[in-house]
Amino acid sequence: MFGYIVHRLLVMIPTLLAISLIVFIIIQLPPGDYLSTYMAELQAQGEAVDPQKMAYLREMYGLDRPAWEQYLYWVWGLLHGDMGYSFAYNLPVTQVVGDRLWLTFIVSVTTILFTWIVAFPIGIYSATHQYSWSDYGLTFLGFVGLATPNFLLALVLLYLANTWFGISIGGLMDDKYIGAPWSLAKLVSVLAHLWIPVIVIGTSGTAGMIRRLRANLLDELQKQYVTTARAKGLSPFKTLMKYPLRMSLNPFIADIGTLLPHVISGSAIVSVVLSLPTTGPMLLDALRAQDMYLAGSFLMCMSLLTVVGVFLSDLALAALDPRIRLGGGSSK
Amino acid sequence: MRRLLAILLMLLAAGQARALSYVETPSLAADVAAGKLPPVAERVPSDPAVETGRPGQPGGELRVLIGSPRDTRLLAIIGYARLMAYTPNYDLVPDMLASVDQQDQRVYTLHLRPGHRWSDGAPFTSEDFRYWWEDVANNQMLSPTGPPVALIREGEKPKVEILDPLTVRYSWSEPMPTFLQMLASPTPITIYRPAHYLKQFHVKYADKAKLAALVADSHTRNWAQLHNRMDNPIRNDNPDLPSLDPWVLTTRPPSERFLFVRNPYYYRVDREGRQLPYIDRVNAAVADSKIIPVKVGAGEVDLQSRYLRFDNYTFLKAGEARNGYRVRLWKTGYGSQLALYPNLNFNDPVWRTLLRDVRFRRALSLAIDRHEINNVIYYGLALEAQNTMLPDSPLYDAKNAQAWAQYDPAEAKRLLNEIGLTKRDSEGIRLLPDGRPLQIVVETAGSVAEEGDVLELIRDTWREVGIKLFAKNQQIELMHNRIFSGETMMSIDRGLENGLANAEMDPSALAPTLQNDWEWPRWGQYYETHGMSGEAPDMPMGIELMHLARDWMNATDFEARQLAWKRMLAIHADQVLTIGLCAEVPQPVVVSDQLRNVPEQGVYNFDPGAFFGVYKPDRFWFVPETPADQPS
Repeated sequence: MFGYIVHRLLVMIPTLLAISLIVFIIIQLPPGDYLSTYMAELQAQGEAVDPQKMAYLREMYGLDRPAWEQYLYWVWGLLHGDMGYSFAYNLPVTQVVGDRLWLTFIVSVTTILFTWIVAFPIGIYSATHQYSWSDYGLTFLGFVGLATPNFLLALVLLYLANTWFGISIGGLMDDKYIGAPWSLAKLVSVLAHLWIPVIVIGTSGTAGMIRRLRANLLDELQKQYVTTARAKGLSPFKTLMKYPLRMSLNPFIADIGTLLPHVISGSAIVSVVLSLPTTGPMLLDALRAQDMYLAGSFLMCMSLLTVVGVFLSDLALAALDPRIRLGGGSSK
Repeated sequence: MRRLLAILLMLLAAGQARALSYVETPSLAADVAAGKLPPVAERVPSDPAVETGRPGQPGGELRVLIGSPRDTRLLAIIGYARLMAYTPNYDLVPDMLASVDQQDQRVYTLHLRPGHRWSDGAPFTSEDFRYWWEDVANNQMLSPTGPPVALIREGEKPKVEILDPLTVRYSWSEPMPTFLQMLASPTPITIYRPAHYLKQFHVKYADKAKLAALVADSHTRNWAQLHNRMDNPIRNDNPDLPSLDPWVLTTRPPSERFLFVRNPYYYRVDREGRQLPYIDRVNAAVADSKIIPVKVGAGEVDLQSRYLRFDNYTFLKAGEARNGYRVRLWKTGYGSQLALYPNLNFNDPVWRTLLRDVRFRRALSLAIDRHEINNVIYYGLALEAQNTMLPDSPLYDAKNAQAWAQYDPAEAKRLLNEIGLTKRDSEGIRLLPDGRPLQIVVETAGSVAEEGDVLELIRDTWREVGIKLFAKNQQIELMHNRIFSGETMMSIDRGLENGLANAEMDPSALAPTLQNDWEWPRWGQYYETHGMSGEAPDMPMGIELMHLARDWMNATDFEARQLAWKRMLAIHADQVLTIGLCAEVPQPVVVSDQLRNVPEQGVYNFDPGAFFGVYKPDRFWFVPETPADQPS
């Protein structure tokens, strides 16, 4: 087991290096650089652009150097924990990310909890009452949730929340609490705003999870050990909880790997529509403006989380499910 | 006459100022009582600028929305505290300066107000001007390219003299008529800096060890980068940087909300002796630009114009009663809301010859039904005209505005036939001399639907005269590069930046001086790079426009300037260098019912105008709300 862990950890290094290279190349692919975006923005606002100043800025930001040099500079910084410098914000990347990370975390964790709380009972109910009217009804609801475009739902909910409850549109709190220290009133305001993004981001995830849980459970419920347990007089509820449900959880644990980056990136489009102060819109902006160190460092963080997440979920699976063994490659 | 009146008013104001007794601002009274701030009489200059309009009441918080944290710059624009400033009639008057003397437009002597202070209480003196000129603009590290090009006259730097603590003189050997305008621009050349603050980042003044520590702390490469980051009055993103603006940034970026608090040392007072601005705080919340109209419609702002577009008008109007605001429609100052730019530097030789044929450009213009565009897209509220001066400009000439602007397909056909484009293909599209069909690709950077809609209408009418139009939408950066390299045949964008100019303003936008003039990018590049790249203008009208722009620069009297302007406008109109469509498309401005002194009918323009700047937002004020439960 120890050898396996070390092996997995070592494999991460070339993986991350390869990712960093791909990320950097993709960010550089669109024509122009941050300064051409900046120039376009200034012009759109009707301001003159001094070409000498642009040349100076290009030199100051190091954008006049060859791409490989910029890449090495960036990777070298990353290795030292320096995420680089955001051109658009004129600040080090770490400072730009700042508070957003926490709010993203709050939104995402709440969303995941919401998803689980809604999806588990419905999934279990659907599976145990297969092909009943209630199963069809819930399945229908699930598909509607899956099929509704998130941003549309977001806009509708925003409008209703504003006209019915007078909640300010967009954002995660009333404007007056932004930047204010945390207090009870601020928390209440956050909670009043939180439900919209949670429902919006959560619905599609919920629907997907209900379907998977139902399918997994149905597989397990057919198996002989269930019949045996029932024959031996174990109550239906206890049987369900103790065996089939546990088995059908494996895919969720395997999902942890993809959940972690989700926590950071949030749902970019929904966050943009809802104007949430999370990291998703920032990443989108950074990519659009070719603010390359901000975007690049961000994507690297997410990649790191994915790699680590997959590793953790593999370990957790091995620990939780005795049927999973380290076979094949490492024992050869 | 207007100028005379303005001077008279100022004299009157100055006379009043001496008799003023100042009234303490309520929100600052506590600090004054506690001894944290000196009383108001010591905070304002001994000779303050006096606002002559009807007095208002101090207090309140102005809520606005911005599209990104970078928009903190907007407050520096609409705050519009400038050495020189435009009045709402676009007369140029001293604002932060007590007065200015000029000699033949060559020698400018600037007089500061005695007792004027920075927002941290340090005196604002000629030392701040000296610091900028000697230690910033002419410092190799801070400004590797030297002082701003706009201050350089034919390669000659100005001579800057510091005469005494309150007097500064800029002089050139040739006339420099644009100098005072640059000081009044929404993004001015700020020829002063808070020296007392910035010296701590300057290698010449700072303690070496301390500076090295500061550089290391801030993750900057060297002191110059640190200095430049700390010192950006236009970007307005450093809460520590002392300012002269009415409201000073107090929130350190990044944030989702920026709070600007009144500058206790502001230089303007009203005629009853209250220090301006009336409004205590400006609260600028960041929201995605696409959601801003929705938030505005829900009544979340007190004053908003940015990110509102004409097509939001009906939605905004619907929320008026429920949310206690009014939507006002202001005129915009662009020469044309949208104009077509045939590229005279297009790479394809056959097409280039055609685009350079004035008959072809005229035919294109005549084959556009501006009336239809106006009615379909702008509810008939816009002005159907070429891309030239607007009726509010003293240089307006109806002849220029209407030149080749009527819808006349018969005449357009006649012109096209005259050029020799008589052969047609099976679809009825005319053929070029080399047999290719006459297909014009108009490139748009269209993040907005408006451009596409307009082109759709033009497509129909051009089709009738045998020209096919394709619209090609792409990213703006890509489009810039294509235009600069001559790969774009025609583009569509906003018209002249300033459609409200008078003869005293710089006409260089009408001459090929900028790479960003999309009708002649190569010629502009040639001028900008002093002939290092691009192409010299090789058409008589291009050369004549350059000469006229130079004539304007060299002219010493008003008549000569006006003559140069009028000639340039006439050339533009006659040559149809850009094809204007509709102008004066209204800009919605949402104003809270509680907010006073915002003009009912205003002009929304960037330069000159600074959006709200010319109307001096420091004099906007809130009517205190009467609590509902108390009978008033």
